[in-house]
Amino acid sequence: MSDAVETVDTTDETRLTGAQLLEKEGDAAADYLEGLLDIADLDGDIDIDVEGNRAMVSVVEASAGELGHLVGDDGRVLDSLQELTRLAATRETGERSRLMLDVAGHRAARREQLVVIAKEAVAEAQRTAAPVRLDPMSPFERKVVHDAVAEAGLISESEGDEPARRVVIRTA
Amino acid sequence: MLEEALGHLVRGIVDHPDDVDVRMRTNRRGRSLDVRVHPDDMGRVIGRGGRTATALRTVITALNDDRAVRIDFLDVAER
Repeated sequence: MSDAVETVDTTDETRLTGAQLLEKEGDAAADYLEGLLDIADLDGDIDIDVEGNRAMVSVVEASAGELGHLVGDDGRVLDSLQELTRLAATRETGERSRLMLDVAGHRAARREQLVVIAKEAVAEAQRTAAPVRLDPMSPFERKVVHDAVAEAGLISESEGDEPARRVVIRTA
Repeated sequence: MLEEALGHLVRGIVDHPDDVDVRMRTNRRGRSLDVRVHPDDMGRVIGRGGRTATALRTVITALNDDRAVRIDFLDVAER
């Protein structure tokens, strides 16, 4: 993957600013995904957004359930598609892409669930004054939980190794 | 459709998209896809620990209504 970077001219004149880079990254991702939807004869609209300093690319279903195959069980297909889309964007920009892909609102819905799980764990940690260990989660899921815990003013960290890495919440 | 979808997914991530060639083969054990890429792109389509090849197989299987499809990666020189 590093050889992609070497072939790109990164002199000051041609280096993209952060915003230009995110735009180019989003456009490359959208082209790649649109091409796939066309070939597979699937209907979906592509939204590009920026969250923090990450490109967020969402494929929105035209009719409910149409893109279910592209999400897969536990979002496994979605994760694979995100991986490929990042590689496609990286090839276009010359900078390693960290874009987040969502399909049919899968990540958005999971995020809401995780915020509820985090709030319940925070309440439990406060009630018992003992650490609360959550089930193993993906990096994306742990990030959502860490953010929700921090917002509640508690401390969280991850322990264990992938794929069994999990969040532990403490009051102090 | 699967050949076309796989060709698109691979062309988008390699340095030599014009060298990408995908063919469906049917034999006694079912269907399989042969993907030929430029030798310099081989590492790119396999990925670290086979990660990219796995991602390609996962997406293609999903597009095939979750029926697994065999995918073989070859460089353009191989017959």
